[in-house]
Parts: sequence; C-alpha cells; structure tokens
Amino acid sequence: MESTGRRTFLGVCLGGLAAAVAAATTWPLYRYLAPRAVKTTAAKVEIPAKDVPEGEAKFFDFNGASAVLVRKRGGDLIALSAVCTHLGCIVQWEKDQQDFLCPCHGGHYTPEGAVTSGPPPKPLTKLPFTVANGIITIG
Amino acid sequence: MALLKRLIDWIDVRIGARDIAAKELTGYLLPRNINTWYSMGSILLFIFAMQVVTGILLLIYYVPDADKAFKSVTFIMNEVPFGWLIRMCHAVGSNMMVLVLLFHMISVLFMNSYKSPREMNWLTGFILFTMVQGISLTGYLLPWSQLSFWATTVATNSANAIPVVGPYLVEFLRGGKLVGPPTLGRFFALHVALIPAGIAALVGAHLFLLQRTGVSTPPFGLKDTANRWQGDGYRYESHPGGIPFFPNYALEDLRSIFIYLACFLAVVYFDPYLFFTRDSFLPANPLQTPAHIKPEWYFLANYQTLKIFPSEFIGLAVQGAGMTFLALLPFIDRTTERHPLKRPLFMICAIGGIMLWIGLSVWGHYS
Repeated sequence: MESTGRRTFLGVCLGGLAAAVAAATTWPLYRYLAPRAVKTTAAKVEIPAKDVPEGEAKFFDFNGASAVLVRKRGGDLIALSAVCTHLGCIVQWEKDQQDFLCPCHGGHYTPEGAVTSGPPPKPLTKLPFTVANGIITIG
Repeated sequence: MALLKRLIDWIDVRIGARDIAAKELTGYLLPRNINTWYSMGSILLFIFAMQVVTGILLLIYYVPDADKAFKSVTFIMNEVPFGWLIRMCHAVGSNMMVLVLLFHMISVLFMNSYKSPREMNWLTGFILFTMVQGISLTGYLLPWSQLSFWATTVATNSANAIPVVGPYLVEFLRGGKLVGPPTLGRFFALHVALIPAGIAALVGAHLFLLQRTGVSTPPFGLKDTANRWQGDGYRYESHPGGIPFFPNYALEDLRSIFIYLACFLAVVYFDPYLFFTRDSFLPANPLQTPAHIKPEWYFLANYQTLKIFPSEFIGLAVQGAGMTFLALLPFIDRTTERHPLKRPLFMICAIGGIMLWIGLSVWGHYS
C-alpha cells in the first residue's frame, strides 16, 4: 500500500514536471508563431476630390484592408469596403455597367454596395467620409 | 485506460504492433555491461531533431537574400518574440552537435566498436561527421555577417590549392569569382535541403546497420554474453540475458538527453555568445576584411595545419590523408583484440592523435 502511494506520488510529480516543461516549450513557440501587430495606415485617409472623376472608382488602403471611393454619374460620392462579403476577395469596378463585380464567384453589387446577384450574403460595408476644400477624408 | 487499450488492440490486430514492440523494444536485449557512452547516438538524434525544428522555425522569418539576410536575422533576434531563443538554440545546437559527435566517435574508437563486422557502421558514421561539418559550414554564411562572409571566403579559398581544378572548384563553390549573393543562394539550398536530406538518409542507414549487426559489447565490465560474429556468415550479434532496450536502456538514454539539455540550456541562457565573436554582429562588408578572422573551433586544427605547411597543397593533402586514414580505420586495423589497455600502440596513436588535434586547435586559436 505504501509502495503504491509512493508510486502515485512520483507519477504525479513527474506528470506535473512534464506539464511544466511542455508549457515552457509551447508558450515561446506560440509567441514566436503568433501573428504580429501590423502597422496599418492612419484611421483617416485623405484623397483629393479631383482624383475621383464622375463614373469612376478609386481603390485605397484603409486600416489594413482594401476600400473604394466611387463617384456615381451625377456626382454622388460613396466610400465602401472593397472586400466582398462572400469569401473576402476584392471587388472590381465595372465602369461600363456602373457596378461592382467580385471576380471570385461572380457576385454583383450596386455602386451603393447593395447585392444585385450572386452569392454575397450582405452588402459592402459603407465607410464614413467628409469633403472639405476639395479633399475627401475617409474615416 | 480502457479506451487506450482498445485503440492499441485495434491497431495490433491490423499491423501486429505488439509483435514489433516485443521484438524491437522490450525483447531487444543489449549487453549487460553496456555503459553511458552508448547514449551518445540517442543524444545526437535528439540534437538533429532540435536542429530541424528550430531551423524550420527560423525559415519563417529568415530571408536568403544578401541585402536582407543580416537584417532578417537582427529582426529575429530583436523583434520577434522569443526569436533570440530559437536562433540561439539553433546556433548553440550546431556547435553541440559537433561536440557530441566527437564524443560519440571517440567512445567508439576507444571501445574498438568500429572493428569487424561493423566497418559499414563506422564508415556511414564518418560520412555523417563530414556532412555535419558541411551543414555547419554552409549555415555559418547565412546570417551574412562579417564573420560569415570572411570565414566562408577563407574556407572556400582553401580548395584553390587542389592542382588543376582548384581555381574552377572555388568559383563553382561560390557561384562566382568572389563570395557574394550567388554563394548565399547555393549555401542556403545546401543547408536547408540537400545536406539535411543526406544526413537523414545516412542516419537511417546507420541505424539499419546497427539493427542488422546488433549492438557491440563493451570490451570491459561484466562478463560478455554475446553471441559473437565468427566471420563465416551473417549472424546477428544477440545478447542473451542482456538488458531490455525498453524500458531499461530507454530510460538511460532519456537521462543522458536530460543531462545534455542541462548543459545546452546553461550555454543558451548564461553564455549564449560563447561561440560568437564581435564580427558576428556586423553586417558583411566585402570591402573590409576584419583583423584576425578565425573559423569555428572545430575547424581551427584544419586552419592551423594549412598555416604551418609552406605549401597550401601539402597542408590540404596531409588533412586529406588523415581523414582517409580515419575513414578506412576498420579496414586498416584488423586485429581482433578490443580491450584498449591490451593495445598499447593503438592507445599511443589514438591519444597522440587527439592531443595533436587539441594542440593544433589551441595553437590556431591563439596564432
């Protein structure tokens, strides 16, 4: 009985030691492999209004992701996330059709970001912006 | 436990796992007088596995481009969490691998285990030794530091002394007239792909030969129980009444690995730059050779041999002859006596050779 108790005690000690060694090995390994904080562009992006002619779109980086500024025919401006809500591809601006096409699975969006056809489950996310002195400030 | 037993049963009825364990682990008997020196191979296997793992981890951040290599290593050391630990384990581990390999070879030498019928074990082990030197040399260049650059310049240049093909061989090794970006590409491919694959294959061959011939009996200690090879035909050298490999000797192996780990981690944590010099921390500058450039400690004897001979060719030839003699030792030394104390000439030559190697290394360090 005494010998069984000693064996169990040693087993527990050994198990504890093994767990400590495993933790001391896994933690540095996890920290080494964990994604690093990426420096993204400033939360606000400024684009001269003249860079976005009527009927055209301008793509830019916004907080580490792709975004787009569209000036519809008639002059209305819209800022949207360019990331397709289906599987994360970047949408393309089709100037002739005046809509967005996702090249991965053929999703279509209106210039306002609403889904018109294809698999995207949600509209493109709208981004806030202001216009002052010929400069469009997104964010 | 019941679940584990069911899983083992499930595997066992398909591949006969218990038969393999009985034959290769619990039923695999080792000589009764086996000693700790027989653990060196297991330690080396452990070190090789550590080098592969830390090497793969370094590949995540290392950039093999002459313009970016040094910066990427600095980034690993200073910016990546625990990057210093991974890199130090790899760098210190490479030196430890050479050191333990030397201990392994010396123990085989003094226990005369290289003799018949284990000539091929010695030969594959010797080739492994040269490959470990090769992987160390090629890895040395990768940080693209002043030390890397100039040590590689000197090392590759020594091939120049080979008559006729020497100058072309140097150019071929470097991928150009001088050490430069093409050299880094070549050494990187050798270091991370070709040589590790070669080492893994040869380790496999070395273990296969060990398995087929059987473990040698130490020439001293308890009475020998081995079923000895007579030279008349193939016979596995079994050890009736010996020690089971599992769990008995496997625990001894584990203890040796932990002792090694204690020494290894002591260097990594308390003296990580033991194997580094000041030039290891400066980026490579092809226009400025640092003063007193020296190779790694295990190449110091080769370096000093090249210096003491008036002709570089003679220096290389002497080293080549020495290496060939060592590689072919089991074919040259064909006596059957294995007790070192009953072989005075062998002892004088072996100890003299080791003293000469140490002496040349110390001389090379201080010259």
